[in-house]
Amino acid sequence: MVSPYAWDVPGGVQAHIKDLARYFQNQGHEISVLAPALDEKDVKEDFVVVAGRPVAIPYNGAVARVLFGPVAATRVRQWIHKSDFDVMHLHEPAIPSLSLLACSIAEGPMVGTFHVAAPKQKVAFAIAPLLEPVIEKLRARIAVSEVARETLTIHLDTDAVVIPNGIAVDSFASAQPREEWQRELTIGFLGRFDEPRKGLDLLLKALPMIVKSVPNARILIAGPGEGLELMQSVPPSLRSKVSFLGRLSELEKASFLRSIDIYVAPNTGGESFGIILAEAMASGAAIVASDLPAFESVLGGGRYGLTFKNEDSSDLARQIINLSNNPSNRAQLQQRAREGAKRFDWSEVGPEVMNVYEIARGVTEKVSVGNEPRSWLRFLGREDD
Amino acid sequence: MNYFALSLILALLFIWYLTFSANRLDRLHHRVETSWANLDSILQRRAALAQEIAHFREIDPATNLILTAAAHQAREAEISDRSEAESGLSEALKLLRDESDIPHIYPEAFKELDVITDRLRTSISIHQEAVRATLNRRAKLIYRVFRLAGRAPLPVTYPFEDDVL
Repeated sequence: MVSPYAWDVPGGVQAHIKDLARYFQNQGHEISVLAPALDEKDVKEDFVVVAGRPVAIPYNGAVARVLFGPVAATRVRQWIHKSDFDVMHLHEPAIPSLSLLACSIAEGPMVGTFHVAAPKQKVAFAIAPLLEPVIEKLRARIAVSEVARETLTIHLDTDAVVIPNGIAVDSFASAQPREEWQRELTIGFLGRFDEPRKGLDLLLKALPMIVKSVPNARILIAGPGEGLELMQSVPPSLRSKVSFLGRLSELEKASFLRSIDIYVAPNTGGESFGIILAEAMASGAAIVASDLPAFESVLGGGRYGLTFKNEDSSDLARQIINLSNNPSNRAQLQQRAREGAKRFDWSEVGPEVMNVYEIARGVTEKVSVGNEPRSWLRFLGREDD
Repeated sequence: MNYFALSLILALLFIWYLTFSANRLDRLHHRVETSWANLDSILQRRAALAQEIAHFREIDPATNLILTAAAHQAREAEISDRSEAESGLSEALKLLRDESDIPHIYPEAFKELDVITDRLRTSISIHQEAVRATLNRRAKLIYRVFRLAGRAPLPVTYPFEDDVL
């Protein structure tokens, strides 16, 4: 598997690759992941091969750390040559990254997973015609959601199989709730809140309205970043209602989601899947999310969680108030969410991915380094092996 | 720089482009072959399972005949009629699944059928995509003028049977 983004920087794609690799490893497959990393010492997994230091570029409303260039190309070549893979799985091969490099170098059974959803973004896909001969080499494409698939059809003119991202349902369902996060009616938010597209300011704007009808409401915010600036937008009298928890470990995250009453995902766009919603569902939190198509599809069109009009903080407040004042509704929603989350468990998703691998592989074939230069040598009559 | 050198460079570039394009097409043909081989093997497995189901004790003779005939037809069909023949089998299996109590008597066989059906769906869409990409490429002028496809047969699409599966 090839990761486009730096391994030691937390992110959805990296987490997905890590879990998928673990799952296949437990199934008895041999896995190797090639990824860039800021610092080799931070990479603890034994299946990860570090390809070098990435550079940061702004992409899709966030900062992406990617790796590209001749040195990286040599690393990729060595890695493929040494490992003798049956299938190579490239993540996000449509942006200039290690994955794209690997895709252009390698020859043989390859599968690509497309995570990004940006149907309207033209600039990032301006290089699409140049990508075509490379992307074409993928035997099978996977899109993580319908929106991601749409992005593909619009910009790269190809179709894909939709397989959602997986989560470990059990570890979320069995997490220990923490008492300090359960006092009062807790509303949770998790993510890099200093990025505007995560939409935390919407939730804070809705706070005065919420507190008016639900006096015991409290907002818990988890994620890396400084909250001081955002606090300026909250009236001083309500500042005690908001707590920043800082960055949580995986375990803490599970208990956080397990403890809170309502999980809010006010993201304003650029979300292709929303793995956090699947996780919140597995933990049995009642969910209120913005009505992005990606979120709607994870939430089963409202079955597993409520949606509010995107960027409308008063609608958000209304939904939260409704849920808060209606415990039986909330319980029903939570129950349904727990059921719905099973769809995203690795035991469901993993075999689907393996199935695609098998299709791509066909009759036993191996991944090798591309032979375009060699065909030239043959043409000139100088091939000597 | 005289014209001779310039035209030589251009000619070389052109030749490079031709081999590059031919390489691309070759790879696409290979992709279609792989995805077809896969689709074919899944379809064969399904036909075998259908024949097995047809011989269950609880199946009445008429259903047996329909299933066996459909499975046989699906196995024997030419590649261009394959989809239609397989749709017949899909329909027969679907009827059996929805309208009879056989699935309750033989849960394992029908569970296997479900697994096969899921794979079939993925396999069809991957094959479709490969065929479509290949046909698109072959329709381009340069491929036709220089006959870059050689004697490779035109790939055949496999229409999706989404209504029956």
